[in-house]
Amino acid sequence: MKKILAFIVLVLMISSTSALAHKVIVFAWVEQGRIHVEGSFGSDRPAKNCEIKVTGPNKILVHKGITDAQGMYSFALPQILDSDLVIEMNAGPGHLGHWTIPKDELVAEPTPEAVEKKMAEKQSLEKKPSMSRIASGIALIFGVAFVVAWIKQKKKDGPNA
Amino acid sequence: MHISEGVLSGQVLAAGAVITIVGTTIGLKKIDYDQMVHVAILASAFFVASLIHVNIGPVSVHLILNGVVGLLLGLAAFPAILTALVLQSLFFQYGGLTALGVNAVIMALPAVLVHYLFLPMVGKSEKLTFIAGFFAGFFSIVFSCLLLGMALWFTDENFLKTCVAIISAHVPVMVIEGIITGFCVSFLLKVYPEILPTKHKVGK
Repeated sequence: MKKILAFIVLVLMISSTSALAHKVIVFAWVEQGRIHVEGSFGSDRPAKNCEIKVTGPNKILVHKGITDAQGMYSFALPQILDSDLVIEMNAGPGHLGHWTIPKDELVAEPTPEAVEKKMAEKQSLEKKPSMSRIASGIALIFGVAFVVAWIKQKKKDGPNA
Repeated sequence: MHISEGVLSGQVLAAGAVITIVGTTIGLKKIDYDQMVHVAILASAFFVASLIHVNIGPVSVHLILNGVVGLLLGLAAFPAILTALVLQSLFFQYGGLTALGVNAVIMALPAVLVHYLFLPMVGKSEKLTFIAGFFAGFFSIVFSCLLLGMALWFTDENFLKTCVAIISAHVPVMVIEGIITGFCVSFLLKVYPEILPTKHKVGK
């Protein structure tokens, strides 16, 4: 038992450093006649120098650009606004993020309240995984292991056990 | 290392899913009842490791720990890594759900490979045990990078260019994972040698 505990402590020591994640987050909003794009891998971790592609209907390329050191990119609203715009960020091999701006948001200038709401949405996307989520994940892993162990034991004991 | 949704072609996704199902089925059959706690602990370590980021200059990469999982579990690394990947995808949005099979192959296949390549060195001496651990950690990332490059190559991209980009971004992780795995295996050999699936035990 002591050895198992020592092993768990070792694993936790390796895993306890606070850190961020490599999920690709793209967020875009319309403000003062421009589309602002922000890319990140989580809070305070900007997606620097990542390629941005903006596509319209039938995946036609409307605009292209690269994020700056803050993971930001902005461009003027396209002249023809008759459909949703899909913003795709390429954050390295195998890492893609998407965001869709609905047509309604493109044609109407947003109110300060709407921009504030969008910012709150962005912050919730960028939040670090909570301790409760991490703990739930670990509990689920042990749950799955318990079920597999139980099934194996049942098979080992045979149908008459 | 986690491939996002919408990157890979249908054929690559299907091939990844088939290899993962086969690997997981064999892995589940190989797990002993007594080994289940170790599998769960190592799957948890893998699950949490991706939250640990290493910043070296402008590069930010996360730990993977598939080397230590593979070295200690062998084929059982497949179900352990798959379970952790499913939860990472659902809880942290790492990698796409449709890319789960390919992501599992990218991380679990190198884990199994390093088990068979470097486990025979473990336990022969303290120095060799550390070297085996280092190589397991280091090469599991090298093999994962190559598999990631292959998955992208089969989809669309230039193999050599993609592999160079992936490997160069992961060099710090290779070294860090090598050191962590080396110390981890050396420590386990001293305090808990029963967990190491090797016949050689230093000093025994």
